[in-house]
Amino acid sequence: MTFLCATLSVLLSLTSVSWAGELDVVPALDLTDPAVLQEATRVLEEEIKLAVRPQTYVLIDLAASAILIKGRGVELHRIPIESWSTAHLSQLATTYRLRERPLVNRRKIGPVAGAEQDPISLADMPTTFTLQFSPPLTILVLSNTDGNPWQWTMQRGRAWWRRVTSWRNILWTEDKSPSPPSLDLTVSLDHAQSLAWTVTEGMPFLIRRPTTP
Amino acid sequence: MKRGLLSLWSGLMGLILITLVQSSGPPISNASSAKPSAVDPALLHTLQARHKLLAKQLTQLMPTQPYILVDTARNHLYIKRQDQVMLDALASTGSGTILDKPGDSKGQWIFDTPRGEFTVQSRLTNPVWVKPDWAFIEEGLEVPKSQADRLEPGVLGEYALGFGKGYFIHGTLYTRLLGKNVTHGCIRLNDDDLKSVYRHAKVGTPIMIF
Repeated sequence: MTFLCATLSVLLSLTSVSWAGELDVVPALDLTDPAVLQEATRVLEEEIKLAVRPQTYVLIDLAASAILIKGRGVELHRIPIESWSTAHLSQLATTYRLRERPLVNRRKIGPVAGAEQDPISLADMPTTFTLQFSPPLTILVLSNTDGNPWQWTMQRGRAWWRRVTSWRNILWTEDKSPSPPSLDLTVSLDHAQSLAWTVTEGMPFLIRRPTTP
Repeated sequence: MKRGLLSLWSGLMGLILITLVQSSGPPISNASSAKPSAVDPALLHTLQARHKLLAKQLTQLMPTQPYILVDTARNHLYIKRQDQVMLDALASTGSGTILDKPGDSKGQWIFDTPRGEFTVQSRLTNPVWVKPDWAFIEEGLEVPKSQADRLEPGVLGEYALGFGKGYFIHGTLYTRLLGKNVTHGCIRLNDDDLKSVYRHAKVGTPIMIF
């Protein structure tokens, strides 16, 4: 049984790596391609609705492999995506609102708290976290774990467990409703913390999808 | 036992196969992902025209005058005009710490610099700080009843720009803390940078904070 589990773990890890590699595509914007134009136009239509309001929003540009923090159409900050994967690309065609920020361990200050407390900083932000949206969408943000096999194993395990439970629900429960879309993003450790810092409750997210493999 | 193992093995292998099939497929969109062999020129022209129009609309929403950009994670304030950076200043922004409100078991102050888009609402010279309740509570002092006891001149620098719900871009006595998240939500600058921001910003100048 132990041997079986170990074999499966290795297989699961290997398939995960090949998946991320295969879907990490960076197509150039080709304005002579109707499919590219349609997708770019759809995103622009949605973005204009967001940019007319005094707010910041996020554009996850899977075609350019970047997460853009924007306001009034201006790019305020750019976070490169190292790899991404999703099984629901065709569904990611609307504006999503973030339900809540990633949890942060905030320190209490004041006379009751005793000694002066350190402020929070980027280093306090999580490096792996899940963002939940309305309408339903789950984004799992993973950080690049170069040189840290333990973190890599934990992250992959988490991503796979989510997939396994999702498929278990489909295969072995009465609930046959389609699972909500999900997207896994891998960014550098610093950028994962930067993203966790930046996002706020209710923040709108747009996703531009690549149209070529 | 053997049958159970076989069943488990089959189930998991099925799961792997399903996932592989799912993952190996190319990304697709609502629009056809396959490039048609012959593109209708009229359709292409319509799409290009629509795209160009929308891109122009988005460009028109971008600020044409200088605007203030604040990066709270790295504690920098910029004055930008389109792509040009007119000022890059080290700042101090919100500490993100919490202070409980006395007598209110659920109430608390969270000292974050607000994120989003704001505008400069006021431009003050020689501002006087009207100390809010939290400033006294934090120091373990009693909150004064008289407004006069809340006034503290000289701590905000020579200028202050108001935005949002009671926040300011102002000066500081603690310049060694610039570059750190130490404030109660306001944005602190050194004297020279504050003067420059005051000169460039008018009432209505956009402030974008992320």
